[in-house]
Amino acid sequence: MKMHKRNRNVAIIGIGQTSLSSHKEDQNQVEMVQEAVLRALDDAGLKIGEIDCIVHGNMELFEMQFAPDLWHSLGTGAYGKDEYRITTGGTTGATLVCAADNLVASGLYDTVLAIGMEKLQEGNTTGGITNMADPLWFRNLQTGALTGTTAQEMIDEFGEERAKRAAMRYRIMMDKHAMLNPRAHRRFGLEYEQAADLMANSPQLVGELRLIHMCSQSDGAAAMIFTSEEKAKAGTKHPPVWVRDHIQVHREETIPNLFGFTKPEMTHRYAARTLFARNGIQNPVDYFDVFEMYDPSAWWAMDWLREFLLLSGDEHLRMLEAGDFDLDGRLPINPSGGVIASNPIGATAMLRPAEAALQIRGDAGGHQIKKEVRHALASGFGGTFWTALMILEKELGWQEVNHD
Amino acid sequence: MTEYFGTTVADIFNTMPKRFKPAEAKDVDITIGYEATGEGGGKWKATIKNGTLKVETVEGELTGCKTTVHADAEIFVGVTLGKIGAIDALSSQKLRVAGDPKLLMLLLPKIFIPYEAPVKKPDKITARTIIATLAERFRPEKAEGVTMAIGYDIAGDGGGQWTIEIRDGKCAVREGLVDPLTVKLTMAADVYTGMMLGTLEAVTAFTSGQVRIDGDMMAAGATAKFFRKYEVPGATEAEELLCLRVTNAIDQRFATGPVMGRWFSGLREKKFLANRCPECGRTQIPPREVCAWCHVRVLDFVEVGPKGTVTNFDIVHFASPDPLTGAVRDTPYAPVYVVLDGSSEQEAFAMEIKKEDIPRLTVGARVRPVWAEKTTGSYRDVIGFELDI
Amino acid sequence: MTTQKVAICAVAQHRNDPDLWHKRFQGMLLDVLEDLQAQTGFTFDEETGVNTIVSCSDDFFDARTISNNGVADVLGAHYRGEEKMAQEGLNALGYAQAVILSGHADPVLVMGHCKESQAESRNAITNLGFDPFYGRAVGLDYLNAAALQARAYMKKANLTEGHLAGVVVRARQCAARNPYANAREIVEAGKVIASPLLCDPIRELHAYPVSDGAVGMLLASEARAREFTDRPVWLTGFANCMDSFFLGDRDLTANFALRKAAERAYRKAGIGDPKKEINLVEVMDAYAHQQPLWLEGLGFCGDGEGARFLDEGGPGKYRVNLSGGMLAGNPLVTAGLYRAAEAVLQLRGDAGERQVPDVHRALAHSTTGPAGQFHTVAILER
Repeated sequence: MKMHKRNRNVAIIGIGQTSLSSHKEDQNQVEMVQEAVLRALDDAGLKIGEIDCIVHGNMELFEMQFAPDLWHSLGTGAYGKDEYRITTGGTTGATLVCAADNLVASGLYDTVLAIGMEKLQEGNTTGGITNMADPLWFRNLQTGALTGTTAQEMIDEFGEERAKRAAMRYRIMMDKHAMLNPRAHRRFGLEYEQAADLMANSPQLVGELRLIHMCSQSDGAAAMIFTSEEKAKAGTKHPPVWVRDHIQVHREETIPNLFGFTKPEMTHRYAARTLFARNGIQNPVDYFDVFEMYDPSAWWAMDWLREFLLLSGDEHLRMLEAGDFDLDGRLPINPSGGVIASNPIGATAMLRPAEAALQIRGDAGGHQIKKEVRHALASGFGGTFWTALMILEKELGWQEVNHD
Repeated sequence: MTEYFGTTVADIFNTMPKRFKPAEAKDVDITIGYEATGEGGGKWKATIKNGTLKVETVEGELTGCKTTVHADAEIFVGVTLGKIGAIDALSSQKLRVAGDPKLLMLLLPKIFIPYEAPVKKPDKITARTIIATLAERFRPEKAEGVTMAIGYDIAGDGGGQWTIEIRDGKCAVREGLVDPLTVKLTMAADVYTGMMLGTLEAVTAFTSGQVRIDGDMMAAGATAKFFRKYEVPGATEAEELLCLRVTNAIDQRFATGPVMGRWFSGLREKKFLANRCPECGRTQIPPREVCAWCHVRVLDFVEVGPKGTVTNFDIVHFASPDPLTGAVRDTPYAPVYVVLDGSSEQEAFAMEIKKEDIPRLTVGARVRPVWAEKTTGSYRDVIGFELDI
Repeated sequence: MTTQKVAICAVAQHRNDPDLWHKRFQGMLLDVLEDLQAQTGFTFDEETGVNTIVSCSDDFFDARTISNNGVADVLGAHYRGEEKMAQEGLNALGYAQAVILSGHADPVLVMGHCKESQAESRNAITNLGFDPFYGRAVGLDYLNAAALQARAYMKKANLTEGHLAGVVVRARQCAARNPYANAREIVEAGKVIASPLLCDPIRELHAYPVSDGAVGMLLASEARAREFTDRPVWLTGFANCMDSFFLGDRDLTANFALRKAAERAYRKAGIGDPKKEINLVEVMDAYAHQQPLWLEGLGFCGDGEGARFLDEGGPGKYRVNLSGGMLAGNPLVTAGLYRAAEAVLQLRGDAGERQVPDVHRALAHSTTGPAGQFHTVAILER
């Protein structure tokens, strides 16, 4: 797909997150948002007066707050400023990053603060997700975001033992990463030797999707600050991280036609091949130094790695089994612990590029990848299997694909 | 000795000497009589003179007292501890002072360190002691219509085996495990106490394998709401975080429009009416206003099924709440994806399969719809699918 | 900084209706989409067509989590990018403008919808816009918040019942010439003044009727606009602004947020004196008193001079709300898009019976939040 050239480049210069947990009763929504905003401002070395525009997003039916950005303005610092509110289900956080990039790149605003938040404990999450289905029909059937079909497909394709082992290996790897990330919500201290026991004892949710494989429901907020190339080059507290490109791929409303005799190409693969092609990236496994992937469950994570990395057959399983996705591997996946460890839905998809940016900056802390991180990939997921995908870079001057 | 507010009347007087501040009582010369009536009460006399204090119990009448204080034992302790307002007690005559009450209110705080109830050394908290409190923490109003036997197999010090039987709005706790159990929870003793005391998150414990569940997982999850939260005896209450609980409900009237309207009309006639895209020819079920692939309006309807082939399915053990009632559905249940005869090969239709057919469910199985006796043109017209054998 | 401009190539409006029980959102939007395609010939082709859509809807009004998901098919979002402005619809124009100017996508389709008739009460929804602990408990909603503001403003600007009635009478006269409007019956001042109180001082006829509607627009860069239209309307200024949340923290008659939004939009459009340089104004007046109030904030009426402004025929002079405005009935969420649609039609000479001459520059305004906490101003030019 041809795209026009960027009007100007945009850098991430500030990143803030609250802790992520299921017990944030000591803060209301506004206070939680403000905590993330203050941390982002501090990280950027800016004061709120230097922000031109604010972009806010969350899934308001989870908290049952109509037009929440109006109340949250007490914490977002939007008073007297331009403000937009953009939401796209689970991909919201990533969309906010795309939106902030568009707003700054357009030249209409110089410095934009994006905020994603969710306080899932204040509502009923599974009920809220079920509410996304057509009230006339599918709402009576949907079971939140849970399905065991991917697990079954992987078992059919690779054999039960290998598939289950891979899902658990991935799960435990995510926990090991989470153990290094003090901000992650769920950190169990699992060991690989426990894999068989954990899976056998973990209750089934749907089919072979077990509790152990599934993401959490968290409260938390994330905030990121974006600015123009000119301002970033004038001096920043931390090294700027450049937004190279992004793509959002939605799907039609219906879900069952993902489970027919034939299946469509997943939006993950479509997004990946489109984004990589227009950026001249031939081999994503070689090109990227880290991938923060939105992984709602261990099964989906494994399946989607094949899609995102444009692999085929059992290449993704072989990479997992060889340790390629470990923190010190060829292409580390989710050094933060990913969505399985922490999932404050409105913020989750923002945490992926946020964590990827921290890796590029080299200050992710305990879960920092030791090798230099120059090229990062981050994804968001939501809706009826939509994908948001973006590329972050340590340096400018990437080879831009020529457009007319 | 009868206790009030965690202490006894006697303890107040027994501790008087060590609470006495002689330096403040230099010019004081007074004898105060105390009478606490009722269980745990008694009579005492406190004589303060020359910077010294003498406290003695009194049998019979209180004599030689310039001022006497009279109250029911419980009030007496309550006022002393500040749990009951002194002014209120005086005004309501629950606390009576013969003599000059002002003298007491100004003098006593000056010459005595305020009395504080002694901090009790708590009994060691074990799984056993916590389970012993289950029956009194039971909330029958939350367990209406519930019949369950929950087994706990707790290993280690302070552990044991118990069965909690809930039936007819009553809760009984027995030693040992009965058979059959609705669900059995197996864990180490410190895991149990950790969860009950709040130092270990229950979800963490379940997910990381520290608690094993055999049997009905939904029942295991439901038990928490049948009991009030365990509270450590004698612990000072932590400052309570305020929490507002509200259910918001706004009635809706959803339009179907002509396309979904046609679908429901079809159901009323026990027919599945898909619509077919004029460009790519795919059948959409339920029908939609446009074909999202071709971006064109779809006007042609075509009957599909009623039988079809299962292409995929899910067996759900963890039910999501019924969106209309909030009730939790019976598990397991199985939504199946079916390509109805005459449909395009990608366009599966989702519907629940009959519970009895779940054990024999396979990909490739043939199914047929089960219609309601009386169809009205609503989603209830199709009860589900069943195997077409 | 860019010097590129963004154009609105076409607008399509669904007729506002008090109760569109026989169509669901997908049907409403499809009508709007087909109208836009007929006008411009745009496609959803991956290379040359629309691959980015900015939708606009509200999860509460739709009673649907991810409300944009429900209309994905019609919006053309299948294997395309789509972002929902979960905000008043006029802001979708500002964001779409940014998407195009950033270089990310071109053209961009904007589609907004809302049905106020679906929920049992729109006030029940707006009540949930207040904080759970205080505002909600006290029973605030956007209607009574507006009433508080109305009371304060009427006092400041010396507005009488007669003034408010005059606004409504004129709105109906304009709406009678607007085939897209909801409430088009002519009313007399006496009937307005006698209409029952909804929330003192707001009377039934001072308030916009419950409405269902949808609006679509196609935006493109200067480079591509003429592929789709020979009469592009340029978006030369856009800004919005947030005020403080708690009503007690605000001076409800001061128009803090609106003045700032207007100031920024005027600066971007190079406007020095709006009264002289803007030929037509569409303000989002949900309640009669809001018309003069917002016009103060925009600089057409002096501070506190609402009564005099109305007495001297200000709205007629400045061509305010020739569409009938929101008073004639638009749903929340899309009312701002209806304002912009009317402005575009007038600028192109397509406003039928409502058309006035010499319209070169128009202003579209929207607001949301309690007593206008948030305002948006767009400047459109031929």
